[in-house]
Amino acid sequence: MSDPSEALASAKAAADRIVKVKRLNACLTPIKELRKSLVAQASAAHPSGVLYGMPVAVKDNICTLEFTTSCGSKILEGYRSPYDATAVAKLKAAGALIAGKTNCDEFGMGSSTEHSAYGRSLHPFDKTRVPGGSSGGSAALVAAGAVPAALGSETGGSVRQPASLCGVVGIKPTYGRVSRSGLVAFGSSLDQIGVLGRSVHDAARVLSVISGRDARDATCEDRDSLRLPNVPESLQGFVIGVPKEYFPQDLDPAVRRACDRAIRLLRELGAAVREVSLPHTAYAVATYYIIAPAEASSNLARYDGARYGPRFNGSEDVRSLYRTTRGEGFGPEVRRRVLVGTYVLSSGYYDAYYRKAQQMRALIAQDFRNVFDRGVDLLFTPTTPTPAFKAGEKLNDPVAMYLSDIFTVTANLAGLPAISVPIGRIKGLPIGGQLIGQAFLEDEMLEAAYALERAVPAGEEA
Amino acid sequence: MSVTHDEVRRIAQLAELDVSEEALPLLAEQMSRILEYVAQINAVPASEGVKPFVPGPDAVRFRADEVKPWPLAFGPAELAPAFRDGFFLVPKLGQFEDAEA
Repeated sequence: MSDPSEALASAKAAADRIVKVKRLNACLTPIKELRKSLVAQASAAHPSGVLYGMPVAVKDNICTLEFTTSCGSKILEGYRSPYDATAVAKLKAAGALIAGKTNCDEFGMGSSTEHSAYGRSLHPFDKTRVPGGSSGGSAALVAAGAVPAALGSETGGSVRQPASLCGVVGIKPTYGRVSRSGLVAFGSSLDQIGVLGRSVHDAARVLSVISGRDARDATCEDRDSLRLPNVPESLQGFVIGVPKEYFPQDLDPAVRRACDRAIRLLRELGAAVREVSLPHTAYAVATYYIIAPAEASSNLARYDGARYGPRFNGSEDVRSLYRTTRGEGFGPEVRRRVLVGTYVLSSGYYDAYYRKAQQMRALIAQDFRNVFDRGVDLLFTPTTPTPAFKAGEKLNDPVAMYLSDIFTVTANLAGLPAISVPIGRIKGLPIGGQLIGQAFLEDEMLEAAYALERAVPAGEEA
Repeated sequence: MSVTHDEVRRIAQLAELDVSEEALPLLAEQMSRILEYVAQINAVPASEGVKPFVPGPDAVRFRADEVKPWPLAFGPAELAPAFRDGFFLVPKLGQFEDAEA
């Protein structure tokens, strides 16, 4: 696309499609504002950009000049960032159109998008179910065909898990591949902006644009943008490891069947498949739910009613202002995580929890290095233990909700790239398979994902 | 692992977070469950020699977790006329508005 009239038509069509799926509560931007902005963006976009005229929705915890950035929280209601996140600025420079802000669990804390102050998002195929989270709004919009791609963010699987549940592609890049500047911090050593797309190609194109060095983020590696690989004819020469810890005895039999079919197809494509072991996997969720809340309790200390967003009554002195604003402004899951994070960092508990979790993280990362050092190129696992679950099913049981991330948190802890690709349906609901790659070898991971996507009958029952 | 109501109150105070008395029982129960779940990592005999893993460029590393005063280039008294308990004392917003009127 290089014709301004086509970009304008694309902008109007995207706005129309987003209106059509309004019932999903996936897009938080008011439609009038969105339509006006999309038309203005289409007029101003660079026709030479590689994403010229492509509408890309953006998760509500990624800063944009155009729309509010509330992080799905009451404490940032109406907040407007004075700058674009680097990823958003790069999208605009490539000619993409920012197609509104998507609903998410508050500050990215959740696996169902039920923890949003703006109401839950609905699963696009079954309104009684959740689209996953925390980037559930982004996944639902892509799955419903409203946009070809959307930005999400990952701290423990928040792109791949909703991608799996909604039947779209979700990529989490290597830590340091994409700038975090303008991504509202949750767990700084884990957070990465990721991409959800209707295909591997759409998601990879967007990832390629937003990747690369950025002087505004010290944790962003000094590397060029990701170069997109070609779609391979076969996977001859690839060695794919299947970690046994990701296929426990009690794994949903239908998920196992879908994975077995995908593994068979990987073999038929020419890959050598071998069983491997990542022995510390069983401790990954526990490790994650110490480190992430600890970092969150520190990162979220800045929301106090004095600097951002609304302040709440009861403010006879400054301490009371902080406490009332935070007590009323944060939702129940954020409050829980801030308290757990403060607890594990507090005097007397630091060594037993936080220090130990840091050691466990090192052991989990070492497990991956051991496997990759033995000639394995990629790992294949299920992305989620089940398809989309019912709304409310896990809302009052935080630990059950946390276990939705059991197959995704390890890549965040080890800083590795991973992708979820649809591999089938279970009673009509999509399920994803995950490829985990070596640090900064997203190109290899994408090659295998392209091949798997072409081979797997993602719309068929497993 | 059982978290008491008093512990929740103390942690909430450290976190500068209002927690209502009615919310305490459920919060204490849920925090207990979460902490009990995550405590399973203590079953792994990780040696003290294991260095923490932090992804990202080598230049970005945690500094030692030490409590120490962070020296200011100028003392608080030189920056503002009144300083107490770690806060700068300023007139209330209403007083500014009255002055302008």
